[in-house]
Amino acid sequence: MSIEVKDLHFSYGNVKALNGVSLTLGHRAIGLLGPNGAGKSTLLRILLGFLVPQKGEGKVLDFDISREQTLIRRSVGYMPEDDCLIPGMDSVTFTSFFGELAGMPRQEAMKRAHEVLFYVGLGEARYRRLETYSSGMKQRLKLAQALVHDPKLLFLDEPTSNLDPQGRVEILNLIKDISSSKNMQVLISSHILADIESICSYVVILNKGELAAQGRMEDLREIHYSLYEIKIKGDSRPFVRALESAGCKVDETEDRILKIYMPSGRDRTEIFRAATGTGVQVRHFVKSQTSLEDLFAQAVGVD
Amino acid sequence: MTTIREKGYAHWDGEFIDRRFPWWPITRTSIKLAFQRKHFKFFFSGAFIPAVVFLVGIYISERIEDFRFMFKGSDKLLVINPAYFKTYMTGDFLLFMIVMLLTFSGAGLISDDIKHNSLQLYFSRPIRKMDYFLGKASVIFFFTLVLTLVPGLIFFFMKLVFSGNFDFFLAYPWLPLAVFAYAGLLTVFLAFYTLLISALSKNRRYVSIMMFTIYIFSESIHGILFGIFRNPYLALFSIKANIQQAGAAIFGQKLPYAFPQYLSFLVLGAVCLLSAYVLKRRIRGVEVIR
Repeated sequence: MSIEVKDLHFSYGNVKALNGVSLTLGHRAIGLLGPNGAGKSTLLRILLGFLVPQKGEGKVLDFDISREQTLIRRSVGYMPEDDCLIPGMDSVTFTSFFGELAGMPRQEAMKRAHEVLFYVGLGEARYRRLETYSSGMKQRLKLAQALVHDPKLLFLDEPTSNLDPQGRVEILNLIKDISSSKNMQVLISSHILADIESICSYVVILNKGELAAQGRMEDLREIHYSLYEIKIKGDSRPFVRALESAGCKVDETEDRILKIYMPSGRDRTEIFRAATGTGVQVRHFVKSQTSLEDLFAQAVGVD
Repeated sequence: MTTIREKGYAHWDGEFIDRRFPWWPITRTSIKLAFQRKHFKFFFSGAFIPAVVFLVGIYISERIEDFRFMFKGSDKLLVINPAYFKTYMTGDFLLFMIVMLLTFSGAGLISDDIKHNSLQLYFSRPIRKMDYFLGKASVIFFFTLVLTLVPGLIFFFMKLVFSGNFDFFLAYPWLPLAVFAYAGLLTVFLAFYTLLISALSKNRRYVSIMMFTIYIFSESIHGILFGIFRNPYLALFSIKANIQQAGAAIFGQKLPYAFPQYLSFLVLGAVCLLSAYVLKRRIRGVEVIR
């Protein structure tokens, strides 16, 4: 397992940032989700070795998070959320510089910088000064510096923030490629649930310093409920009441589609029985996939 | 921009090395960046003018007969002794040029990293806060030592070469040590001074102005207050006066200000301590992720 933490506790003064979080992660692409103040940043700080947990223990790539922080940082790559650059540098110098700081020999860091810059799509712009880079290019540059020393585990903090749709798709494709075919594990902390959904096979949701949910995306979707989308003809109110009294949650979208969240173990024929009982016609019936957004909302208790 | 994955990703099969000085890449890169700055090479070359003049002086002192027509009997001007070294090392022009150079090369050392969020990248690497500090401070060490220690030792060596004997060495065997001690003191002080101010603002321009202004303003305050109160202790307000007082003490010369030399050492030391405290608070590894 690449990340194993047990009963982690950390407080900033009186504020509990992490309260007994235990995780065992070894999947290719892991999504870390949670509202602001959920403890994501604190967890990342601890995993990168910047903070020592006040209680609990853990390992990242078999290195102890309390005693072997330097070794952890050599073996992981980190792509921060903010734009980061050193003015006056070009991207080759920048990338090789951080490769050297990771412990690579100078010449190899330089050679490797060229390779990863081509990989992230900055090959032609690698001698341009960083101040002239667009947001998308800066994002790729951050990815390049995180990859230069060929880490085994990559921490990505909001990798698609400030990107236009095309740039976002390109970065997501890169991350997908890294996690799926480059023998590298990726932990992505993001607020953009669609990004997590498109890349990650495993999700960890934190809320108020505690683990709200974790598991494989498919399992999480299946465990909680099944989602059906239907269109009806007739008065929807008695129909919705009938479904709610049967334990279902019903949302109506703007285009009058009813999304029915049916608890696991229930039979979908109950929907048709309710329709018959309330005199409405079912004109459209689709079993839909529960989105991560639905899952997130349910886990952290928000609508 | 080229198409993504124009070239594929290949794993690196090399081995990491444990550098004896993990901060060295920071120093090397920062010095290189300083030389890329506009007008920096011009100021850097200009800072060597006093060294060249003093070196010529050493040559002339050994060939005084050939140049007597220039001095008209006042050959005492060119007596090479510890005072000559002290005059070079603590000279107003040299100190001014060093401060000028540091405003170019040192102002952005930390402020740029804070402004452009690169601290988090440094500390996501296997380097400690001390490595980061040493990497940045060594840039100041380089520029200060190249203008103090290096010329000082070259003067000493060239004096022996031009005179063709070891009389100068036998007369002042401690002089190279004094050069080392003064250059070390000045370097450490200026490193703390520069990094302190660089860590206080995100704006490199403000930092440059602050560095220069504090140096000049402290001297002006000293001048104004001394004009009013005629108290020599007021020189303790001046950075330059404290450096010159400490320099005179190290070279065993008459003190330029009428107060105990240890007070100047204390003032310089206090600035270093204040700087260390501020740097410790401003450069914090835990702030790498917000």
